[in-house]
Amino acid sequence: MKELILQTLCDLRAYALSKNVDATFFYHEEESYLMRFANSAISLNTNEHLIRLEITAYEDRKRASYEMITDLSKLDEMKQGVDIAAEMVKHAQALNYQPTVPAYGETHIDETSYDAALAGIGNEERLGYFNQAVAGLETDEIRLSGIFSCGVNTIAQITTRSEHLQYFKSTDAQISVVLSHSTLKWEVIAEQSAQKKTELNPALLRRDLAFLLERYLHDTPQQLPVGSYDIVFGSAAIAELISIMNYIGFDGGSMKRGFSFIAEDQVGQQVFSDKFNLTDDPTRLETFPFRRDMTGMSREPFPIFEQGIFNSFTWSQDDADEFGATPTGHTVMHNSLVLEGGGREVGTLEELVNLPRENDLLYIPFLHYMNIVNPSKGLITASSRFGALLLKKDGSVAVPYNVRITQSLSDIFGDRLAWLSRTQTVYNTSMSYGARNPTSIVVPAFLQVNALEISHSNSSY
Amino acid sequence: MRNKFQEQIQRLKAAGATYVDARWYPVEETNQLMMWNGNLKTVSSSRESGVGIRVLYKGAWGFSASSDVGNLTSLFDKALDNARVAAERVTFPVRLAEKESIQASFKSPNRIDPFSVPLGEKVEFLKKLDEQLNQPGVAQRVCELIFMRKQIVYFDSEGSEIEKNIIEVFPSIQVMGVDAQGESHSRKFSPSLSGATRGWETLDPHLFSENAERIVREMNEVLVAETCPTDQRSVILLPGIMYLQTHETIGHALELDRILGYELAYAGGSFVKLGDFGELRYGSPKLTARANATLPNSPGSFGYDDDGVAAQDNLLIDKGLLVGAITGRQMVEEANVRAGKAIFNGSSGANRATAFYRVPIERMTNINIDPGSDGSLDDIVKNTEKGIILDGDKSWSIGSNREQFHFATDIGWLVEDGKVTRVVKNPTYKGETVPFYNSLSAVGDESTWEVRSVDNCGKGQPNQVMQLGHGIPVCRFDNVTIGE
Repeated sequence: MKELILQTLCDLRAYALSKNVDATFFYHEEESYLMRFANSAISLNTNEHLIRLEITAYEDRKRASYEMITDLSKLDEMKQGVDIAAEMVKHAQALNYQPTVPAYGETHIDETSYDAALAGIGNEERLGYFNQAVAGLETDEIRLSGIFSCGVNTIAQITTRSEHLQYFKSTDAQISVVLSHSTLKWEVIAEQSAQKKTELNPALLRRDLAFLLERYLHDTPQQLPVGSYDIVFGSAAIAELISIMNYIGFDGGSMKRGFSFIAEDQVGQQVFSDKFNLTDDPTRLETFPFRRDMTGMSREPFPIFEQGIFNSFTWSQDDADEFGATPTGHTVMHNSLVLEGGGREVGTLEELVNLPRENDLLYIPFLHYMNIVNPSKGLITASSRFGALLLKKDGSVAVPYNVRITQSLSDIFGDRLAWLSRTQTVYNTSMSYGARNPTSIVVPAFLQVNALEISHSNSSY
Repeated sequence: MRNKFQEQIQRLKAAGATYVDARWYPVEETNQLMMWNGNLKTVSSSRESGVGIRVLYKGAWGFSASSDVGNLTSLFDKALDNARVAAERVTFPVRLAEKESIQASFKSPNRIDPFSVPLGEKVEFLKKLDEQLNQPGVAQRVCELIFMRKQIVYFDSEGSEIEKNIIEVFPSIQVMGVDAQGESHSRKFSPSLSGATRGWETLDPHLFSENAERIVREMNEVLVAETCPTDQRSVILLPGIMYLQTHETIGHALELDRILGYELAYAGGSFVKLGDFGELRYGSPKLTARANATLPNSPGSFGYDDDGVAAQDNLLIDKGLLVGAITGRQMVEEANVRAGKAIFNGSSGANRATAFYRVPIERMTNINIDPGSDGSLDDIVKNTEKGIILDGDKSWSIGSNREQFHFATDIGWLVEDGKVTRVVKNPTYKGETVPFYNSLSAVGDESTWEVRSVDNCGKGQPNQVMQLGHGIPVCRFDNVTIGE
């Protein structure tokens, strides 16, 4: 199949050249499977096999794109796509900057993120995984929800500027297992991300679910007074907070357009706590990385924050073209963000609960529906969800109703950042809008921030 | 081609399927143009076609989709196989509410098909808008046009065959500026759906011109405004934010699949319980909300849903009392059984999929609030002692059961003793859904009522982006916390 894909792209390139069309070709193929559970049943079992081809035509400073869902037997239809893109670009308007048309210097084939065993996983295995993850935990009141999403993702590129190609193939699985109370409306969750089949471990999920279930079934629920708390965030919450910096933090184009809380003159300045080290590290396979970006630039570990000092904005090729910056290899479908662990030996929820503490700790594993209240201040708001706990200083545990925090990222990752776990976790942040794009972030299992305000507290589940 | 679908449906019925449907998209096209600071950053078109097959077997769904319609047998078999596996874990066997067998077609009302308009004309339209926005104080200006066209042919094993041809137009303009403190602020405009059609003809240059001038002026007022105070007061929500308040805390909260727990792994649930229908005082007596898929010119009007059920106009909240939900055929059956009584008479015709490769789920149609009897915006302001007028959807975050929320808006105008006093920046408000709607103290009349379109409502796994609408008047709520 790989040969057919590459040959098809070469044929399309030859066709474009024969028509004097300057173009780039972006091929995306997904074989996706999703088993979704609700109310302890399989509510949806689906698969899609989709091939998308995006053709971008250039004419000096003008460009236009045409995308189609197609299949490899329809070369003539794809050639028509070239004609359509070429016709569109004639009517486009010139940009006030010169867009770069990529020219790959060598052919790059990357299948290191592909695992044949995960690609071959079947319906029965997906169901078996879920059955193991919740074995003995479901009752008439406690119901199972969740997803087992997995698939094979293939990306291939060529341009009219060179005969070389880029080809990336990966496998991924994203699993969320939720147990909810049928009448009380609380839920607990455990999640897993896998790039290889051997990374699937339903026993780990069962351990966390059983622990949380015990708390939620037997500990006293309570409404927390609004006010200041020492908060421990779990890996899902940390990943959400880091992920939003893709949009309002270190992206150069966002900064230039006024959507960043980091100013241009803050490069080299202390922005966060000296415990905060964030790198875009495409050597970490767990992040489904791109070792070359979409323009062919080689990608190496790129420090964004070192000991809280902001090192550099990231620049995609197009933003660099527009704003006169130097591209940094960030014309990618996703970064490979890694937040370095700290010194605290806390790797599991059980270890966190048993941690000696001088103050009450509010554990928030998951931030629901995060949104940006003020991008210039890095101000975000979100609610807790899925298994928050109040870890009291006397060692007891209470179950809090959901709370809302509205805080700036500088407050969360600044001087109040108390500690980070040494243990890191891979958290899958893939969204299923549009085409499959497996994405994950490596973060510490937990981190604690002192004296954060909660601005709203629910009076029930 | 149509016979081939019917043959496959009958074949799967003979193989034991209790229900089969197919949605064939001969063509779905989008065309997007986005001009940013005079740069035509995006000129893109897309075209796709394919088919999605849904099979019910022993009370469980299976689904399969492909862009290749050349091997329908394999595709239908895959959907049946998926259902067979799903049938190994069934707790409440899926049943579908009764419906009529329908042979029909639907065409959205358009005078000028936007796909027939030359690209150059579209670019010229954007250039003129961009020039109008290029004013002092404006640091960023964005003009966007999105056009969609889809042809859907629906078949099911109950004898229905429905063809839909739908065209949508989504235009918007936005300006951003930076204040003396270095903070960005924006204002935007997308026209309400005021006519009887929804084609290229709805892009009225005069309307855009007027509103381009308005949003630039208002943004410049925000740039020199004081920060919104933190206190409690009445909030007067214009349709530019009230549509989103309605969307998030009435629309999503009343999707029956959410209420029954089918979205708990991702989007969340709903604070609404089955016992609440006919009992819960969702809002004050001034609140009447409905799901009306029969509006003439909205993306929430589609003729027939993807269960093959005709569009309807149903009450959700009647003078404050919760009476209805947003439903498809499956959920009403389960809800009635779980409740032990017939809460719902049948599907409300709101099951839709975003594309051939996604399965239909409960989606909003046009979730509207009826106009009230409290007069115009001026009348409401005159009768407000201490308040703030809010407009523009800057940020929104809602609790997982839709029980509480936090919104930020683009602009606020403080109201003191019945008069607008000054503009404030960074306004926010928050609340709990049921107390909030029970504090509804004024609802504007027809003069304040606008139909707003939504082109990006996300829900479900795999995620689906849907288009819909909201018919909304100006609404005032009392004792609301602002500025946090």
